[in-house]
Amino acid sequence: MDNGVSRKVETKGNYLLRVDNISKSFSGLTALTQVSFGVERGHIKALIGPNGAGKTTLLNVVSGVLPPNSGHVYYQGKDLTKMRSHEIAALGLSRTFQLVRLFTANNAKVMDNLTIGAHLKWKPSIVKCLFLRRSIRHQDQVMRERAYEKLGFVGLEKAAANLLPSNLPFGNQRLLEIARALMAEPEMLLLDEAASGLNEAEVEDFRKLLLALRDKGMTILLVEHNMKLVMDVADEIVVLDFGRKLAEGTCDEISCNQKVIEAYLGSDYVNTGGGNRSG
Amino acid sequence: MLLIALFPFTLGRISPYYNTVLILVGIYVILAVSLDLLIGFAGQISVGHAAFFAIGAYTSGILTTRYAISPSVALICGLFTSGLVAWGIGRSVLRLKGYYLAMATLGLNAVIVKLITGFASLTGGASGLLNIPPFHVFGFTFQDHRYYYYFVWGLVILVIISCLALAKSPFGSALIAIHSDEEAASTVGIDCPRYKLQVFVVASMFAGLAGSLFAHFMGFIAPDDFDIFTSILILVMLFLGGVGTIYGAALGAVFIKLLPEVTYGFQDYELFVHGFILILVLIFMPRGLLGIVTKAKNRMLGRKDLVISSSRG
Repeated sequence: MDNGVSRKVETKGNYLLRVDNISKSFSGLTALTQVSFGVERGHIKALIGPNGAGKTTLLNVVSGVLPPNSGHVYYQGKDLTKMRSHEIAALGLSRTFQLVRLFTANNAKVMDNLTIGAHLKWKPSIVKCLFLRRSIRHQDQVMRERAYEKLGFVGLEKAAANLLPSNLPFGNQRLLEIARALMAEPEMLLLDEAASGLNEAEVEDFRKLLLALRDKGMTILLVEHNMKLVMDVADEIVVLDFGRKLAEGTCDEISCNQKVIEAYLGSDYVNTGGGNRSG
Repeated sequence: MLLIALFPFTLGRISPYYNTVLILVGIYVILAVSLDLLIGFAGQISVGHAAFFAIGAYTSGILTTRYAISPSVALICGLFTSGLVAWGIGRSVLRLKGYYLAMATLGLNAVIVKLITGFASLTGGASGLLNIPPFHVFGFTFQDHRYYYYFVWGLVILVIISCLALAKSPFGSALIAIHSDEEAASTVGIDCPRYKLQVFVVASMFAGLAGSLFAHFMGFIAPDDFDIFTSILILVMLFLGGVGTIYGAALGAVFIKLLPEVTYGFQDYELFVHGFILILVLIFMPRGLLGIVTKAKNRMLGRKDLVISSSRG
């Protein structure tokens, strides 16, 4: 335990996503230094660490929003490093943003956000949209049904579909963003602080949603500050600090890790005896 | 629609001058509506739409006068030349965002005008290209403006329908996503550069079509017809009518093009009145002319809702 650096908890072959020696700096400022970890298929992996630890940067590298300076990201054995965001999304990797980013131009409704989320299923070309109106209309119907299904799944009402996203309470906007990500039927979700700004009841609903997603076989990489939530849902945790991986392991291992306790969970956490972990 | 169809036989018959005006209105409707696809939906500000208007017009003009190619073939060539140029330029220019894209397209417009003026042997230079034949297809010449009117407005309606179809389709939704947030759009799988290029090419092809129609109608074109002020005029039409609705752009084009006919009577004060009306509209109708129309419609519908709910109660 002196050396907090990871211990191997899984076999390598089972990783759906593998981050390999990723480094990233912004004009001299180092954000990530040789970070490596893997996410097993069907697991929820939490990525934690204090503000500025590089969690969001890592998510941006994985989703192709930022190119890394060195290192590789492998998804299903494919190297994502040189791929652009939309190509990565096409492989079945969807994400949400720390600050909710919904589509609002031209009075786009909640339903529009959802159908746009299904873009990868449409692949709408100009020719198709101009001349194959019937097939477009049929697809539209299918997508709308799927949109209602996803709305229901994340716990939003059907009636919300016709609202502007800005008319939804903040917590529901977060849920909508997750529903939008689900529209592409991804295999893996990257959730960036999806529970921040939610009240206690909403966090509880979100916890249930995460577990329901895992039950359906979804693999999730969860960036999260809410330690109670993390301890409740995560199968494994990876801890970042100043762009370096500090520890990786199961919840028990992380909550016993002296370095992590000192640096991240704080003395409060130690005093309350590791929070009220379930299981 | 009926109004458009009957026009040449009513007012247009009394004064053929109005046919001429309305043909120009139609050409500008095509320009404004196609620009709306690019600006209103994809959110890519172009201040150089007249460049593609020019490319269409000059392709048609040069092919018919210098090479004696049939206007119908020239029109199709104009369409594709505009599209091709847009494709070539858009690949690099569309990487720019916001003001930078506006500046680049403005520059493009200036360059195209300079090129036209420079290649005088081909384009007639600053003094313009003369004797462009009127449009004819299958041996039928649209000599009479009344027939050309139908031809132009037929195409106008086709363009409006196409733009509406695109705008309301998943393609249009992808554009709206790009307009809202390119990064978020790409993480739902939208290939932003590709879609921006596609809409740029389509908008430019429509502008090229407008250019060909213009050239065969006027018979004479000069670089001045396509300078940056024309681009700005198209922008004004779009913003005045209402952005991102297609109908609004059409309304704006009709309004701007017909306004001088109304203010004509003010003679010396014409420009003053013209400008004053524009300022009034922009101040009191920030969402454009169409915004007022929809507001009125909503108010009427709202009243209906009220009646229904009170009858329930």
